[in-house]
Amino acid sequence: MNTTEKDIEKDIEENIENGIAGKDIKKEALYRCPYLLLLVVTVLGAMLCSDELASAILPAGWKIAAEAVEADGGALVPEGFISEEETGELASEGETGELASEGEIEKAASEGEAQNGEVRQASSAARTGITRFVSYEPRQTDSPYYSDAGRVAMTTEYAYTIENTSYFNDAAFLGDSRTLGISDYAGLDGADFYCENGMTIFKILGEEGVTEQRTGKKVNLNQVLREKQYGKIYLMLGMNELGYGNTQMYLEQYREVVEQIRQWQPEAVIYIMANLHVSREKDDLESEFNNININDKNAASATLANGTDIFYLDSNPLFTDEDGFLKEDYTFDGVHLYAQHYEMWRQFLLKHGVEGTGTPDAAQGTEEYTKTGTE
Amino acid sequence: MLFSSVEFLFRFLPIFMILYLLVRAKYRNIILVAGSLIFYGVGEPYYVLLLIFSILVNYALCRYRFWEPKGPRTKRKRQADRRRKRALAIALLFDLGILFTFKYWDFAAGTINRLAGREYAPLLSLALPLGISFYMFQMISCQIDCYRGTIKQPPGPIEFAAYVSMFPQLVAGPIVRYGEIKEQMRERRVQAGDLENGLKLFTAGLGLKVLLANQIGTLWDTMMTAGAGNLSPAAAWLGAAAYSFQIYFDFWGYSVMAMGLGRMIGFRLPRNFENPYASKSISDFWRRWHMTLGSWFKEYVYIPLGGNRKGRVRTLCNLLAVWTLTGLWHGAAWNFVLWGVSFFLLLAIEKLGLGRRLERTKILGHVYTLVLIPVTWVIFAVTDWEQLGAYLGNMLGIHSGGAMVGTAQVMRYLREYGILLAACVLFATPYPVRWYHKWKDRWFGLLILLLIFWLSVRELIAGSSNPFLYFRF
Repeated sequence: MNTTEKDIEKDIEENIENGIAGKDIKKEALYRCPYLLLLVVTVLGAMLCSDELASAILPAGWKIAAEAVEADGGALVPEGFISEEETGELASEGETGELASEGEIEKAASEGEAQNGEVRQASSAARTGITRFVSYEPRQTDSPYYSDAGRVAMTTEYAYTIENTSYFNDAAFLGDSRTLGISDYAGLDGADFYCENGMTIFKILGEEGVTEQRTGKKVNLNQVLREKQYGKIYLMLGMNELGYGNTQMYLEQYREVVEQIRQWQPEAVIYIMANLHVSREKDDLESEFNNININDKNAASATLANGTDIFYLDSNPLFTDEDGFLKEDYTFDGVHLYAQHYEMWRQFLLKHGVEGTGTPDAAQGTEEYTKTGTE
Repeated sequence: MLFSSVEFLFRFLPIFMILYLLVRAKYRNIILVAGSLIFYGVGEPYYVLLLIFSILVNYALCRYRFWEPKGPRTKRKRQADRRRKRALAIALLFDLGILFTFKYWDFAAGTINRLAGREYAPLLSLALPLGISFYMFQMISCQIDCYRGTIKQPPGPIEFAAYVSMFPQLVAGPIVRYGEIKEQMRERRVQAGDLENGLKLFTAGLGLKVLLANQIGTLWDTMMTAGAGNLSPAAAWLGAAAYSFQIYFDFWGYSVMAMGLGRMIGFRLPRNFENPYASKSISDFWRRWHMTLGSWFKEYVYIPLGGNRKGRVRTLCNLLAVWTLTGLWHGAAWNFVLWGVSFFLLLAIEKLGLGRRLERTKILGHVYTLVLIPVTWVIFAVTDWEQLGAYLGNMLGIHSGGAMVGTAQVMRYLREYGILLAACVLFATPYPVRWYHKWKDRWFGLLILLLIFWLSVRELIAGSSNPFLYFRF
């Protein structure tokens, strides 16, 4: 309590002092306010020096003007969505299209899973997986960050093999807090996890580095991925990008990251994992934070899958209800799974093994499991 | 608009301050009201109308109470008396009615429907207007003070509007009584020292909120996202500690920012926190935590009910009423009632003599408080009964399912949050406040404050490139 008394005394002292001075601010010399001056000077200085800061501080109108110029420049780049024709020979809109509601799409998804068996034989001969897209009537959106993709990407159809946990001994997971969840609770102890809260596709290979979960130290993937060869790389990023840039930028950056990793890790199978949807409660069409946006990002990243050494895995059907929302009783915050549900995710990953093109041991292992391997 | 946001810091505040200081003292209340309505309206474009409406109604009732009746003197007194009572009754009905409709209707209706097993009362699903509990309590206090005659002259319309809506305390307190700042409402000076010291206080509060509360909050979030049922006892206690720090620094930081802002525009707002985690008993804790709310309940509920003057049983009943209401004030859900009632139990036990004995000890009192307070915060934080049961069970080590968040994770979190936790512990002691007063006027202190300001701004900007300010995935 003695601090209060002191403070009060001090306040009284100041009052008296001010009372004697008894002048209003206008007549005071500003040298009585060194802190105010320091603040004003540093704010102005920082705004002059740093564009980033200035654009954050200035009102949104100014910022949008600056972004619009950038966007114009960006529009010259051909649209990434064109790659639909590359990946989806079978997924022409006429065939699978005209599915209006998401419920039907989910059904289509499970049918897709069921058909896997047939497709498996066909494509294992060709050794190429197919990433299908199911179209639906896109909704009107009004956001600079995203638009409704009008289609849902399915897990790449391929003759996956069922693996055991040792499959992950030469795997690396790169991601945000959801990958952190896999690291913590899925029990994939052999894998290396490079992930942290707030990680984005823009930062993952950056200078700032990312936390390696076994040691808890920040590492620079730029170095690590050059030095250590992995058999599999799992990528799952996109949640923290929902309100940053736009889907086009996201896709371009994703492409760059995948190409970069391919260059450093010529032998590794790259898995692009779909970002998990959010719950109905969390889904907010007013903000950027909703499943339309997440799906937009997912559908974009899925176009990078080629079915030979890059695969797209959508684990959403495991955890979402018929409308595509993350089930409420699977999550506390509407975004992350409870610890016990990561087991399902692990099973899902185990069921979607692809023989590494490089490591012969792993390849043998997978063949073994192929024999026992129908659900 | 939050104080800890780029819009507030770099757009609203500078523009407001320049306008405020440029106009003559007697017009400043007008600027203050206009600015506050804009401040509120940016975040709540519709509910700002509710705020304005409530101010108008309450002001009208205030005037009505002070209306000089005509006629013979004997009659006049009786009339005035009747008017006084009528004004208070209508005011209470109106203020509590609005508060009930917007905050408690769904809670009450839901409970009734559940008990009855059928749909008796429809749910309104209204969003909670920002700060409604705070500004309604201020208006109620003003009405009761008018009734009691502690406010002798009716406030002017602009003064009243400024008193209720002034942005420093509008959304999160402190709850100021009109009598406390009556003179300042009418006339106040802003001196260089006020600006300077207000800014310093504001910076300190900003640091508490952004650099401590927001950061440690993610540890609590991590625990809850893993699921309350999956925590080992160590993890559960770590999470509870993290939440205790988060809520303290968040609220204390906000109160300090309010004091700082108040100072910058010439007000002396009351202190709201006084090292609560350094207390030696729960009674002591509540003398130091959210002090303006505590004194509001004491002044307008506990004492009118008879306080402790009507025997032991009545005292206990009064305490129960106060703490149930305190619980409900914090939120419309049963866990808040449980939270309030558990404080009632603790305080009742302490009243029997334990409290006095604890306060005489050197260490035991601290241990007792520091063990119990995190438990109460868990009750406060977890609205879902099942989750709450699991969490409390895990804290006690009863609920022994497979703890998925076990030793390995706890060690990792301790490594990750160790420094932050140490800082939180330090700032929960009385020392930082002393250091603040010692150093704030020296160059070294100024540079530290400047550093705090810029670190906070860096965090805010990093957050604003990402729309989910408080949650990074």
